[in-house]
Amino acid sequence: MSVLEKTPPTAQPRPAPAREPRITDEHGRRVRVWELALRYLLLLGVLALTIGPFLWQLSTSLKGPTEDIFSSPPKFLPSDPTLHNYERVADTIPVWDYALNSLKVAAANVVTNCVGAALAGYALARLRYRGRRVATLVFILAMLVPVEGIIIAQFTTMRELGLNNTLVGVVLPGCVSALNVLLMRNAFLNLPYEIEEAAYVDGANVWQRFCRIALPSVKGTLAVVAIFAFMGAWDDFLWPLIVLSDPSKFTLTIGLNYLHGTFANDERLVAAGTIIAVAPLIALFACLQRYFFRGVGEGAVKG
Amino acid sequence: MASPTVPGARRVRRQLPSSPWLFAAPGLLITGAFILYPFVSTLVNSFTDRRTLVPGEYVGLDNFRELLHDDMFWTGLRNSTLYVLGVVPALVLLPLLLALLVQKNIPGITFFRSAFYTPVVASIVVVGLIWVWLLDERGLVNSLLETLGASPVGFLSDQWLILLSAMTVTVWKGLGYYMIIYLAALANVPRELHEAAAVDGAGAVRRFLTVTVPAVRSTMVLVAALSSVAAFKVFSEVYLMAGPSGGPAGEDTTLVMLVQRTGTGLTGRVGYASAISVVVFVVTVALMLLVLRADRKEES
Amino acid sequence: MPTSRRTFAVAAVAALVLPLSACGSGGDGAGPADASGKVEGDITFQTWNLRANFKPYFEGLIADFEKKYPGTEVKWVDQPGEGYADKISADAAGGTLPDVVNVSPDLVAPLAKAGLALDLDKAAGQYEKEYLEGAWASHRIPGMDGTYAFPWYLNTGPLFYNKSLFDKAGLDPEQPPRTYDEVFDAALRIAEKTGGDTATLANVPTIEDFGRYGVPLMNEEGTAFTFNDAKGVQLLTRYKELYEAKALDSQALTATPESSGKKFLTGAVAMNPGSALDLANFKKQAPNLYKNIGITDQITSTGHVNMYVMGLMVNAQSRRTPAAVAFAHFVTDAAHQMSFAKQVAIFPSTAGSLDDPYFTKEDGTDETRVRVAAAKSLKGAVNYTPVLFSEQMKTELRNEVAKALQGKQSPQEALDNAVKACDRLLQQQG
Repeated sequence: MSVLEKTPPTAQPRPAPAREPRITDEHGRRVRVWELALRYLLLLGVLALTIGPFLWQLSTSLKGPTEDIFSSPPKFLPSDPTLHNYERVADTIPVWDYALNSLKVAAANVVTNCVGAALAGYALARLRYRGRRVATLVFILAMLVPVEGIIIAQFTTMRELGLNNTLVGVVLPGCVSALNVLLMRNAFLNLPYEIEEAAYVDGANVWQRFCRIALPSVKGTLAVVAIFAFMGAWDDFLWPLIVLSDPSKFTLTIGLNYLHGTFANDERLVAAGTIIAVAPLIALFACLQRYFFRGVGEGAVKG
Repeated sequence: MASPTVPGARRVRRQLPSSPWLFAAPGLLITGAFILYPFVSTLVNSFTDRRTLVPGEYVGLDNFRELLHDDMFWTGLRNSTLYVLGVVPALVLLPLLLALLVQKNIPGITFFRSAFYTPVVASIVVVGLIWVWLLDERGLVNSLLETLGASPVGFLSDQWLILLSAMTVTVWKGLGYYMIIYLAALANVPRELHEAAAVDGAGAVRRFLTVTVPAVRSTMVLVAALSSVAAFKVFSEVYLMAGPSGGPAGEDTTLVMLVQRTGTGLTGRVGYASAISVVVFVVTVALMLLVLRADRKEES
Repeated sequence: MPTSRRTFAVAAVAALVLPLSACGSGGDGAGPADASGKVEGDITFQTWNLRANFKPYFEGLIADFEKKYPGTEVKWVDQPGEGYADKISADAAGGTLPDVVNVSPDLVAPLAKAGLALDLDKAAGQYEKEYLEGAWASHRIPGMDGTYAFPWYLNTGPLFYNKSLFDKAGLDPEQPPRTYDEVFDAALRIAEKTGGDTATLANVPTIEDFGRYGVPLMNEEGTAFTFNDAKGVQLLTRYKELYEAKALDSQALTATPESSGKKFLTGAVAMNPGSALDLANFKKQAPNLYKNIGITDQITSTGHVNMYVMGLMVNAQSRRTPAAVAFAHFVTDAAHQMSFAKQVAIFPSTAGSLDDPYFTKEDGTDETRVRVAAAKSLKGAVNYTPVLFSEQMKTELRNEVAKALQGKQSPQEALDNAVKACDRLLQQQG
């Protein structure tokens, strides 16, 4: 831990001054000052560990062409920060087109996963029918299949459907992921039955109960599923590469791979590329995190 | 997966006879067509000597017999098993502690929570590239060690250190993910329990052991199940740290890496690689059952 | 973990759905190989990671072709560097291979065996004399008749060394080693003088190194490997000596060409093989190193340097064979290879092109010096890596070599094992 404490605390957003009596825990009790200090110290330590590596990459991407990025000892701050590398990424590859394709794929993946997983999760958790256990088992087994082994078979199926080289083909295999179905199932299982019962007495049918009562109560889990789905589609490399042939349809992850040139590698360019790939996800998460953590608070992901 | 009983279920029954299947249909269809059906063909292939561009013939159990005599298979099995043993305890415990750390609503806490989740969001390739560069002999970690007076460590040249480095990356990337799962569980721990324990004069450690752990026990089981399956199927982290040939003399090869190495490319031995895939699948099913069984036993 | 699908999961092929529709004829040679018809129709042309830097060049090239042959339309797709073999595998298995495909010799061999590559001796034999003999031959496959791709660009290069590291070890930076023995001696010296801090080489020997050292790699029929002879054992024994003295980098056992290049950039190793392309890279990435860069000839015991060959294969199942052959020839003809060579520091594989003043006249800059020297050496260059040497075989060799370096087995045992494993894989490929 001694390494971590070296991080200059000034680099972090300043925690509100600990004017003591104000600070309370989640149960409204006061927190002691030394305990608070210890907490922040630990938090800063973990912070350095989790985002440090990204900051290092960011710093490399901001270093100009005259700066030796392989110098030893390494320099943390660019001596003359420049956005030039980002411009060069945009000049080298049509980064906006690729980002747009990624966005389409990721957005579609979010919608299909939220809808498909919610429906299936509801069926597994709430509806009574023969074969329910089998259906649950299907999803559990699907989660255990090593995907590394089946990708060509997936491609062959896609070609038979005539969907190779389309963005639909990119989305389809992961559009209702087993893990998300199981997450939704658990969320529905944790809802008290009584609320649905009241609706039942009022004469609501299964579809109405699902839409009006069950679904709104698991908004948080939906946010979790949405983030997972977006992330998964955005980060995926091999599947889109195999399905797509036409460069105009490439997603960002594939496109950024062009930065690893055949003839020369430029670390700064690659670093700028990774930042471009990660930044939207971080932004998205920052926007959604309120729902996300609320969803988590619902007890959605609980076992 | 733990499946609580549904006491009110029998009373809520107004549904069309077909609707459960309608609800489950999209999920089942996709999973069946794009995950299970391809896996069935993997099963079929495991009994053939199929290669990437040669259809191959039925060879019975030959592939499985060959596995028994393949040193690399045993190396893979050893490493994948070690990975489970190394990673799972850390991923069950550390995220729980982290969740406790960020649970209190102190100023700035949402920033910290989000920041801790960043590694989960970034793609594994990006993460791998960054870490390889950090752990290089002349990378950041080693130059920090040197300024502290220690001699540089060959994180990426020793077979065991490579495995350990890969485990570190897995844990690092998984921390935020499981932290979230624990936060969910912790939100449901009634505060009265803590207060009662505090009144009894229990210290932080004892409260953790007597209140927190029992309250989130089922979540710990879930985390153990998810992380052990993922750990046994580990590929990317080790591939990136150890290189495509699996570390010095291939000693860091994991089972899924072996699937990839033997089965891919234009000269891949698809049949043999499929046999390894089948073994991986069987072991993960067994792992899952084992974790759930342990859970049930403890419960009773 | 929330991984949807492992991004890097290059894992592909483990499960082709039966039946494998694509590989129709499977086995021997040419399909409907008639290139004599009218050049017309739509074709697809796939390159390997060239779009980012050479987009205008290829767009111009295609426009010229379409103008020359009215009624043709070429669709150009470029694939990124990562996962290329997987992409081609999926397309080959799924029957979606483009008409003209950028390949390296090791990719051609399995495609030709599956009947997916057009035999150019039959379909386009008249063009053979336009190319360097060695380049044309690099797409022949032992055990099969025919040539299965047009040779395209070539590359080779010198050995770079870090003058300041040589200086520190008391070696004359202006007198670089010229033979294998001199390299090994210099490496041991540097390791000794720096107390093991500075390694000279960063890579374990690959099949190409054995070839350059003068080890016979395969028997003449191409049915068995032979690199476990006395000479092979000698090379590996020297490497073991280097490894023990830390003259071979301690991360060499896990190194990739990329990682060892980086080591050279950071000044962690003293020598690195490279090409004319690298000079510009050094200048940009590590200005400090560039000031101290030394350049010497590629080391070889056979008198022939190693070269890398890129080729253009014509899909045997193309519905537009005449157009595909015409286009593949158009891209690789002397004029177009020459103009491509002026875009980037690679070398044309067409006969006579290397006598162009561009490749013979020095102008005092390092770039030109490297280019001229490389062009000269290319005339007798050999692609040492056997076309039948698959990725799986490379891994076998690499792992056995590593065990020898670690002292877990003797160099002789290591090479015997590697030969045995590679022979078995060769038979299974059959």
